Amino acid sequence: MPNITLTVNGTQHHLDVEPRWLLADVLREQLNLTGTHLGCEQGVCGACTILLNGRPARSCLTLAVTADGADIVTVEGLAKDGELHPVQEAFWQEHALQCGFCTPGFLMTSVHFLNENPNPTRPEIREALSGNLCRCTGYQHIVNAVERAAETMRKGANHAISQD
Amino acid sequence: MAVHESWIGKALPRVEDRALIQGQGQYVSDIRFDGQWVMALVRSPHAHARITRIDTEAAAALEGVRAVITARDMEAMRRGLPESGPVAPPALAYEEVFYVGEPVAAVLADNRYLAEDGADLVQVHYEPLPVLTSAEQAAKDEVILHPSIGSNVFDAFHITSGDGREALKQADHIIRATLQMGRVSPQPMEPRAIAASYNPVDQTLVVYHATQSVHRAQERIAEITGLDKDHVRVIAPEVGGGFGVKNGSYPEEALVTYLAKHFKRPIKWAGDRFEEFLSTSQEREQTHHVELGLNKDGTIVALVDTYYQDNGAYPGGGAMVSRNTARNLPGPYRIPHMHIDGYTVFTNKVMQRPYRGAGRPQGHYIIERMLDRAADELGLDRVDIRMKNLIRPDEFPHRTGTDSVYDSGDYPADFSDLLELIDVPAFRRRQQEERQKGIRLGLGLSNCVEISAGFGFEGVRLTLMEDGRVMLATGATGQGQGHRTALAQIAADALQLPVERIVVMEGDTARIDKGIGTFGSRTIIMAGNAATMASEGLVAKAKEMAATLLEAAVDDVVFSEGQFSVQGVPSVSMDWTALAERVAQTGETPLSHEDVFSSGVATYGFGSHAAIVRVDEKTGETRIERYVIVHDTGKVVNPLLANGQVIGGTVQGLGSALYEEMIFNEDGQPLTTSFLDYRLPGATESPDIEIHHRDYPAPGNPAGYKGVGEAGIIPSQAIILSAVEDAFNDRGLKLDFAPVTPARLFQALTREETK
Repeated sequence: MPNITLTVNGTQHHLDVEPRWLLADVLREQLNLTGTHLGCEQGVCGACTILLNGRPARSCLTLAVTADGADIVTVEGLAKDGELHPVQEAFWQEHALQCGFCTPGFLMTSVHFLNENPNPTRPEIREALSGNLCRCTGYQHIVNAVERAAETMRKGANHAISQD
Repeated sequence: MAVHESWIGKALPRVEDRALIQGQGQYVSDIRFDGQWVMALVRSPHAHARITRIDTEAAAALEGVRAVITARDMEAMRRGLPESGPVAPPALAYEEVFYVGEPVAAVLADNRYLAEDGADLVQVHYEPLPVLTSAEQAAKDEVILHPSIGSNVFDAFHITSGDGREALKQADHIIRATLQMGRVSPQPMEPRAIAASYNPVDQTLVVYHATQSVHRAQERIAEITGLDKDHVRVIAPEVGGGFGVKNGSYPEEALVTYLAKHFKRPIKWAGDRFEEFLSTSQEREQTHHVELGLNKDGTIVALVDTYYQDNGAYPGGGAMVSRNTARNLPGPYRIPHMHIDGYTVFTNKVMQRPYRGAGRPQGHYIIERMLDRAADELGLDRVDIRMKNLIRPDEFPHRTGTDSVYDSGDYPADFSDLLELIDVPAFRRRQQEERQKGIRLGLGLSNCVEISAGFGFEGVRLTLMEDGRVMLATGATGQGQGHRTALAQIAADALQLPVERIVVMEGDTARIDKGIGTFGSRTIIMAGNAATMASEGLVAKAKEMAATLLEAAVDDVVFSEGQFSVQGVPSVSMDWTALAERVAQTGETPLSHEDVFSSGVATYGFGSHAAIVRVDEKTGETRIERYVIVHDTGKVVNPLLANGQVIGGTVQGLGSALYEEMIFNEDGQPLTTSFLDYRLPGATESPDIEIHHRDYPAPGNPAGYKGVGEAGIIPSQAIILSAVEDAFNDRGLKLDFAPVTPARLFQALTREETK
């Protein structure tokens, strides 16, 4: 069984993984990071989105062995020392989640998007979120939340998610 | 502490969210029991076939596979599932399969990968049988699916009000149409899942269940396993959306719970998206043959409707949907005479069961589309015909003729407000201007009544915890609605406590003995009123306790501003925390009170919706430019959550109006079994929705709450078809099928051209 190294939310792990295991399953089953959800296992719904070397990736379409050596951030890595990331805070304040199942994927997508585009328009936000499906909210409050987070982040300190 | 303000009515962010946004929410798929086996299923690839042989040896021999179960080997798997109506499906099919996706064998293994490997190795031999994919065809009974019923029509009903069909003779005009709705797959983002662990020593079964009703699941599981109900604990942890389809009996529930007890091993099944498309119940599929009789001025005289609901292979909860469709046919309009014949029919598809709306969208779709059709044919305005027939406030209580008594609100005023917000004359001018440039805009209008609750009960148990916080337990399990926040707001007001001092526990049979569950937009109405009643009971008990502790007569104890004090001696007082401490010190059992709210009175919310769409004639794509709602949701507990429900429901409905349709071929094969083929609305397709509240408290329950969960989804199919037709009103476009996908629009336009 191949042995791989993953740095997840700043912690390095050496793991024996079967070549066919998905990264999502390794995160969930071996590292017990169950915040990354499996919604479709077809790469459509985006619930399993993580940051892989700083970029959003579908962990349900990624074989864990191909991520050997990667830096990974999951939803569990967003808050720092009990302080929520501005995107998390905004999702909370704007009621951007109902059942919460899709939420980790939306958060990871939004965090990356706002790092790339700190001052987006609503259509740009909707475009950025178009790879994530939500069945509860109708998206409107999610768009509100991303707008709010953008404003907070523009005003505030650097909230870039780093891998160190 | 100052607690004078009212928590009810505050747009409070949810107490649920802190865990969920940090990935700490625990869903069934996140549960892991030590030593658990994971289940994968072998499902039928045929819509209707006889099983001739099942070979399991190769699967059973695979390393990591612990057991392979068929109903041929394990007789208990043949038993009909509980709560399933006149034809109960078995846990595993053993002679005949009736739909693609029906479970035939179960493989238990150390993990999902191995279980699926095992499932691949199970060889099932089938002899195909004739397949029924059309309800109207099936109703002819040329092939009978379940001989024990004697007909494929397993539920037929006939409703007559006023003079019924005869009244059509009184009408100046009769508008006739055949209107259809395609099959919708509800698709919560969390697929169905269940995990169970059995303790043979005390013979107890703990079940983690993505269900909308822990208590009904508990009853079913007790029946399945033969355990005493008290030995079955059902916990719904976080549930990732329900929308009705996580509310009933399924084969996987029987398999996981029975096998966990049988093997004395924890067993878990977490369905994947493909299984969600194949095996989770669906809805909406109906064909209506409608006649609407009207006078020259557009006044409705009579509605006559014969319809068929394609219910799939088993009853499920389908008859309820069909009957609720009839109840909703009048919508908010005055219809003096009606005759309705409803037929619910078996076909070889996965069963239908209530999905958000559950007959409300279907009924409204028919009356709203018929009003459009009537206006067009009589040369009336689509606005005027609605205004003329809307029930006026002075007509309340209004008996609809279909078992409802509308009681509150002001439908014409709300509709007028909507028209003003939209500015219909200005829109008509813009529509003409844009049309000159080749841009097609359309306006859709729809009114709807949301009938909620009106049956059964719900309970709330309050317990004063040692630290002075109050635990609120209810059986009304949520799936994302935010009950833990809303119910806390209600109890906080009654207990005069800050909202953060109320801890809501939902979805655990160990916390409260009885409950019905969350569906039909009932929880705030039922559990909300129960929370107030239980709070009053707890205050009464606390007063008694305070009287003892303060050495006063009970009648002299005053409860005010969260303080128990002796009348005339305000300096002698204690709050909930002090009371809880003293109770703990005395070693007495914590103060607790349970109360139940029962009511047979439904609530009647109301909404006027308008949609402006822009249709690309070349691609057939419909985009929503503007969507406005004037909404009566009764007394609002939390506007943030109420609006979340309305927006979410509306967008979900836009899916079934524009994109979502389960397609089956003539062999009964579902062709749309992924999010690539079955398209949900995404962020770019969904509009921002404007909601304007006109809230009239419900007269039928003490707090005045009305349902809100289904409000948004009710008019969606009607309104979008109405709007798209309006975009082509110069060409007399008529749409008779929802959803209006680009392909269906193209076909309809082509049909018009060839006329």
